Amino acid sequence: MSSQLIISIGREFGSAGHEIAQKLAEHYNIQLLDSNLLQEVAQEKNLDVKHLEGLDEKKRIKLFSRNVRGFHSSPEQNVSMLQFDFLRKKAQQGDSFVIVGRCSESVLKSCDAMISMFILGDVPCKVKRVMELYHMKESTAKKYIAEQDLKRKRYHNSFCEGKWGDSRNYDISVNSSKLGVEETTRLLIDYIDMRRSK
Amino acid sequence: MFSQVLAVIIFVAMFLLIVTEIIERHLIVLGCALLTLILVFGIGMHSVDAIMEAINVQSIFQPGFWYAGAEAGEASSGINWETIIFIFGMMVMVEGMARVGFFRWLCMCIAKLVRYKISSIFLTFMILSAVLAMFIDSITVILFLAAVTIELSQLLKFNPVPMILSEIFCANLGGSATMCGDPPNIIIGTSLGYSFGDFITNTGVLAAISLVAVVIYFYLIFKKELVSKAAGGIDYQSLPKPESTITDKKGFVISSVIFIATILLLVTHAQTGLTVSTIGVIVAVATLVSSGRHAVELLKKVDYKTIAIFAGLFVVISGLEQTGILEILAGLIGRISGGSIMLMIAIIIWLSAIASAFVDNIPFATTMIPIIKSLSLTYGVDLSVLAWTLAMGTDIGGSATPIGASANVVGIATASREGYIIRWGTYCKKMVPATIMVVLISMIVIYLRYV
Repeated sequence: MSSQLIISIGREFGSAGHEIAQKLAEHYNIQLLDSNLLQEVAQEKNLDVKHLEGLDEKKRIKLFSRNVRGFHSSPEQNVSMLQFDFLRKKAQQGDSFVIVGRCSESVLKSCDAMISMFILGDVPCKVKRVMELYHMKESTAKKYIAEQDLKRKRYHNSFCEGKWGDSRNYDISVNSSKLGVEETTRLLIDYIDMRRSK
Repeated sequence: MFSQVLAVIIFVAMFLLIVTEIIERHLIVLGCALLTLILVFGIGMHSVDAIMEAINVQSIFQPGFWYAGAEAGEASSGINWETIIFIFGMMVMVEGMARVGFFRWLCMCIAKLVRYKISSIFLTFMILSAVLAMFIDSITVILFLAAVTIELSQLLKFNPVPMILSEIFCANLGGSATMCGDPPNIIIGTSLGYSFGDFITNTGVLAAISLVAVVIYFYLIFKKELVSKAAGGIDYQSLPKPESTITDKKGFVISSVIFIATILLLVTHAQTGLTVSTIGVIVAVATLVSSGRHAVELLKKVDYKTIAIFAGLFVVISGLEQTGILEILAGLIGRISGGSIMLMIAIIIWLSAIASAFVDNIPFATTMIPIIKSLSLTYGVDLSVLAWTLAMGTDIGGSATPIGASANVVGIATASREGYIIRWGTYCKKMVPATIMVVLISMIVIYLRYV
């Protein structure tokens, strides 16, 4: 495997996917791209990020959008395309980075340097984590998790052939509730190192 | 009654499926066309003649299909092959012009001519958009104009969105001026037997008056945004020279000659007797022969999916026409208007404009043609007045929303690729008032001139 390393992380809401992504980025000393991806895109295009806000990881509304000869009118779809192009360009330039969500496992599928993973979790653990992080009641946290996961699933599945969370789309799927954040991260580092040594 | 129900179900299902985008549009439309032939004409009407009329291949073998001076065949419903052949020919010509860099050269020449002054580029590009869209499809016009606008905006440091929105509106408006500018006009012209001259002296006048109002409107609302944000001035040497945009000089000259000859053939087709199908064939053959080894490449680039959509739509709408559904709709409009031509004009123009703002104007115009024919026969209203009303409503209404016309989608997507995301709110805030204004102007001028 080349020295370039791209880690693509899909995640369920509350599964600590973002925290694991942060730890992996720190461990390998590479850039973490998550919600800051929009900022990066705006910077590259010399634009104010406020033009792109509110459109991140959103599914296009079919009733209010139209496709003509490969051109799209949907703002959600166009922002996603900008992000996908940015990721492809970055991968082609040989950059190493950790990317959370944004259909990255499909967008960068042809890139040999990419290792894709999906982080899931048990419902009680995810609820507990979300209650602590967002100061929510249990019932609200449960509802919030379900809503966020549905949004992510719809967004992902509207752009990718493979389904969100389907283990066949990822190199490795892991339940972070079984080992905890630290141990799961270590497991993933071992997996990445083994892959890179091949 | 059974076949009427089937025809309506297929028509409604086609629209719903197009919106849901379960499969590609051309497959949906062709599938619905096939269902119309089997269920409506075959099982419902038990009529082989109805199937033959819908496919309408026999029309191609009539002399009147190629030469208007010959004995004209009886106008029939079904696939309008004249429209399809003409659109194919124009698509080949436009691909040939794009290959040699014609459109980019034209845009850059105009920008240079006005010395790269942003407000002048804004005004001239609006007019250029309208004029080009009179002869070639608005998708191609916006594809090149928006790309050049983005390029210039990066070099001259200005926000390209106001310019792109104005170009989109003017492309749709320019398309309404001629018979070949917008697909609904081609269908109206070939179905009802109007010439290029008929359109230019009727919808052309309406479009010209509206263009003046639109240019003033857009200039007033956008003038504050037409300034350069370049801190240290602009390096004019870095701007691309128009000549550098031409990729094939010999091909460029030939393409320009073919384009001018096409305009002449269209302008004079009522005098020469050549039908638009003949012009389509001449244009396609001339472009392909002169393109040499690039001919296959041009043929591959033709948008066959759109052509398939046209063919399928004609069949589905023929189902509505032959089962008498459109006559019922015409009767409804007639009753609401009480036979008053002024009310009929108001209903047709606003109904067409509102419908075209949300659904494709091609099926809408195709559906409305038998309706206006029926209205004209029943109430003795001049058919041409209803035709110009329908053309203006369908052509202009599409500008109101981001999904109303293909040019809007292409313009929005081109801007988005450079990070300029145009949302519904931004778009409609500027375009809806312009659309209402032009529909109103058109309605008033139609009242003053024809009623």
